[in-house]
Amino acid sequence: MNRDSEAAVLCSGVSKRFFLYEHAPNSLRELFIRTVRRKPIAARPYFALTDFDLRVMPGEAVAIIGQNGSGKSTVLRLIAGVYAPTSGTVTVRGRSATVIELGAGFHPELTGAENIALYGVIMGMSRQELAARYDAILAFADIGNFVETPVKYYSSGMRARLAFAVAVCVDHDVLLLDEVLAVGDEAFRHKCLNHLISYRDRGGTLVIASHDLDQACRLCSRAVWLDKGKLVMSGDVGAVADAYRAARA
Amino acid sequence: MASNTSLWSRRTLIWGLVLRNVKVKYQRSLLGFLWTLVYPLLMVGVLVLVFTTVIRIQIDHFWAFLISGFFVWNYVSASLYAATYTLAEHAQITRSIALPNEALVVSAALSKLIEFLIELALVLIVLAVALHHHLPASFAALPLLLAIQFGLTLGLQLPIATLAVFYKDVQHALPLLLSALFYLSPVFYPASMIPESARDYYFMNPIAELLTLYHQVLYEARLPDIALLGSVTLKTAAILGLGLMVFNRFKHLFAEIL
Repeated sequence: MNRDSEAAVLCSGVSKRFFLYEHAPNSLRELFIRTVRRKPIAARPYFALTDFDLRVMPGEAVAIIGQNGSGKSTVLRLIAGVYAPTSGTVTVRGRSATVIELGAGFHPELTGAENIALYGVIMGMSRQELAARYDAILAFADIGNFVETPVKYYSSGMRARLAFAVAVCVDHDVLLLDEVLAVGDEAFRHKCLNHLISYRDRGGTLVIASHDLDQACRLCSRAVWLDKGKLVMSGDVGAVADAYRAARA
Repeated sequence: MASNTSLWSRRTLIWGLVLRNVKVKYQRSLLGFLWTLVYPLLMVGVLVLVFTTVIRIQIDHFWAFLISGFFVWNYVSASLYAATYTLAEHAQITRSIALPNEALVVSAALSKLIEFLIELALVLIVLAVALHHHLPASFAALPLLLAIQFGLTLGLQLPIATLAVFYKDVQHALPLLLSALFYLSPVFYPASMIPESARDYYFMNPIAELLTLYHQVLYEARLPDIALLGSVTLKTAAILGLGLMVFNRFKHLFAEIL
């Protein structure tokens, strides 16, 4: 258990409940009446994640696999601090960088260069850090002379490359990626994979949510398999991937 | 994590968002900033026409009285309306990156303040040249009024933004409230025209107090009334405190609902 205190990411007994509002209580009148009568708004609770445990040590790469709606993104958002857990605790040591929606924060009217600056500060970079990383980001994104062009004229691949480049060039201890490794062409995917492997080998911590089992196997040593918000299996990535394949076959 | 989510530590973020708002609004538009002036100038023109030729209001230099308050009113109402969509506009960011959501509201407020400062500079020049024929000493009180204006507006923006996340009604209800408030605030008439017996109720509205202070400083060129200044400052502090409380109480839910 003493390893827990050294963990880069530690989730213990984490549950996340959402409320699905069936007939939307989207009116103030209803809110008012219910508040006065002390009746809560009718909503169906839905557990996106139940009693989830995860320990990721520094320098470890873990894949979260599972079908759509199994709770993969919820796990990443909890680790990122976007969601607060309903019960249990989530602890992250160091700075985390999240890529859940690629290019969240990009503004289509702004140029590539302006968006690098904007996305950078949204990801938590300081001005100095941004200046120091700027060339590396451009080199990684490889968008050529489109830097001064508004992002709305970019192809979807270029947009994704730029977003990915900013995200991975932020100085971080924990990187969270949600299905974003399927961007760009073959060459760019290869570059991303290599970048992530060298990041991991330098001691960076990585948590990815993925459908792509081959990619998960190449990048990660360990995997957790989620189904309907519950942990089905956790362990060596190869074993989990085989079990997952077998179950779906 | 904690240091990453405090508002002051994210001033780079706030400034970055302000810069983006300004850039996006004014690039690739020929008239640029002039567009911001079109609406208030049009309204000022119409109101001057109506209140000097149709309903003859007994105020010397009515145009000067009007511009002393109209831009302030315009700032407050536009900012409050903007608060109904600011968070929804940034839903994608809120859903993917943990950041202090206050920063989104504050940066929207600051972007509007920048526009207001430019408008105010123009108003000051016009008033000094065409009305006072010198630079009145009372203008020195403006930073104080600006601080109250920003604080009061932000204090109202925070709960409006919070409510707008949960209830779409806010976007429909607020314009109605604002158009009522336009007539219930001293924008095109001075507060002194309100009957003595009703004035206490009238000045429960901090916006009425703020506008009256602007009239004193800009139009009458006298130092602001201390009692009025004290009252509006207290209300602003209370509203800002309450607004922050409401916002902080609910902000952990924004990512789930947006």
